[in-house]
Amino acid sequence: MKKQTYWNRVQLDRVKRVAINLFLGFHIVFMACWCLPLDSQWLTLSRNFVRPYFVWAGLFQSWNTFAPTPWSANSYLEAIVVYQDGSRQIWSFPRMEQLGLSERYFKERYRKFSENLQNDKNDALWPDVARYIARANSTAANPAKTIILIQVSSVIVPSSEGSYRPEPWDQHVLYGYGVKREDLQ
Amino acid sequence: MRSFTAAWNRFFFAEQSPTPIALFRIAYGTSVIATLWLLHPDWLAWYGTHAWTSLPTMQALEPGRRLNLFTVIQQSDPWINRLFWVFLVSAILLTVGFLTRINSAIVFLCLTSIQQRNLFITHGGDTFLRLAGFFLIFAPAGAALSVDRLIRIWRGKQGTFLRPRSPWAQRMIQIQLALLYFASFCWKLKGPAWLQGTALFYIYHLDGLKRFPVPAWLLHPTMLKVGSWSAIALEFSLGVLIWVKDLRYILLALGLLFHLSLEYSLNIPMFQWDILSAYILFVDPADITRAWERLRGCASGKNGKPLASVQV
Repeated sequence: MKKQTYWNRVQLDRVKRVAINLFLGFHIVFMACWCLPLDSQWLTLSRNFVRPYFVWAGLFQSWNTFAPTPWSANSYLEAIVVYQDGSRQIWSFPRMEQLGLSERYFKERYRKFSENLQNDKNDALWPDVARYIARANSTAANPAKTIILIQVSSVIVPSSEGSYRPEPWDQHVLYGYGVKREDLQ
Repeated sequence: MRSFTAAWNRFFFAEQSPTPIALFRIAYGTSVIATLWLLHPDWLAWYGTHAWTSLPTMQALEPGRRLNLFTVIQQSDPWINRLFWVFLVSAILLTVGFLTRINSAIVFLCLTSIQQRNLFITHGGDTFLRLAGFFLIFAPAGAALSVDRLIRIWRGKQGTFLRPRSPWAQRMIQIQLALLYFASFCWKLKGPAWLQGTALFYIYHLDGLKRFPVPAWLLHPTMLKVGSWSAIALEFSLGVLIWVKDLRYILLALGLLFHLSLEYSLNIPMFQWDILSAYILFVDPADITRAWERLRGCASGKNGKPLASVQV
């Protein structure tokens, strides 16, 4: 009886070791395939194969901070809030350069979010953002009627001797949204 | 083939002290707590029912089945707040090592949920915490420096001797960190600004990223070139050469300096600390023991009493 229990444990350890090895091999190979920026048909196939599991488990990853090309412009987002009574107000996302040291620590997510909003690829976010700004800037007496999202940017250009002189700011309308009554609830 | 199998088994399964993974657990838990604390004023602004991005928008932009508690819990602000408090308590319990395995799973689940709920505010440090958190679930993270261990000793289930453990989950976190550096290196090789050495010029002139002023001589074009190329070389080294034992401590020291300089100059809260937390996993357990013994020696020299009699 004792001998059988020992044998069972040895078998179990063996099965466990094989399972762990499969787990390790699978994750090492596919994590590398997922995040290395190499163009190959085989890599694309492997990414597609593993995508459902990686997306579900939260194992997706990309390590392209400031790469391949770092941002070459200073930019921020503003919104023009047009009210029911015809008045206007400019609302701006928190700008890190205008905040104190500790505030910058707490509010940095706004810089990241604003950076992503300026990417046309993420235009599906704009209606939600416009609604949020409308809610934050409305009163019962004077609700927001229209929100216009504006990207303000200034390109960073190195001068011939390598110094930096800020370029003039440009404005570009990203999106306009007509606020509905239900958006404010 | 046989030598590969032997090396694989040695690397992943040769038992070693669980102290490095326990120290990582403490650093990791602290990073998660700090991240939550920094997010605290905006929990509902980012994740609430009237957040900047709604759950349906997020699901439309990032489709697919995902581990995301926000799709399971009731969509109301009190419930979302409760989720955050459970997350915070669990992160504290993980840090002190109480019910470590369960709390590491809860922390991973909550962390991945908040990231899946809004992927547009996460940075690389958050991603690393999520990935490391996945492998931490499988690690013997509560085997040392934990309340769990104290309870086991108190109940007589364990002596003060620290039983060595198989480090395969710790190795996965180390591989993940090395992969992070190597992938960053590969991405930079694709960018002309990095190859020409002008990348840092743009980064250091992004107003929204500045923290403390960088000395003017460091912004000289030659220095910026040296800095850009050094960053590429260091990322390659930390991804590949870190596995060479003789170079490891030098590279860890250079990596530490690199991240501290970024922490000084760039405002990306927690990013550097999230990454640095995993450096401890590359330290030889024998060196940690030696450092601990030296610390004990110093402390007992001062007070005349030993610092602790339990093996770390």
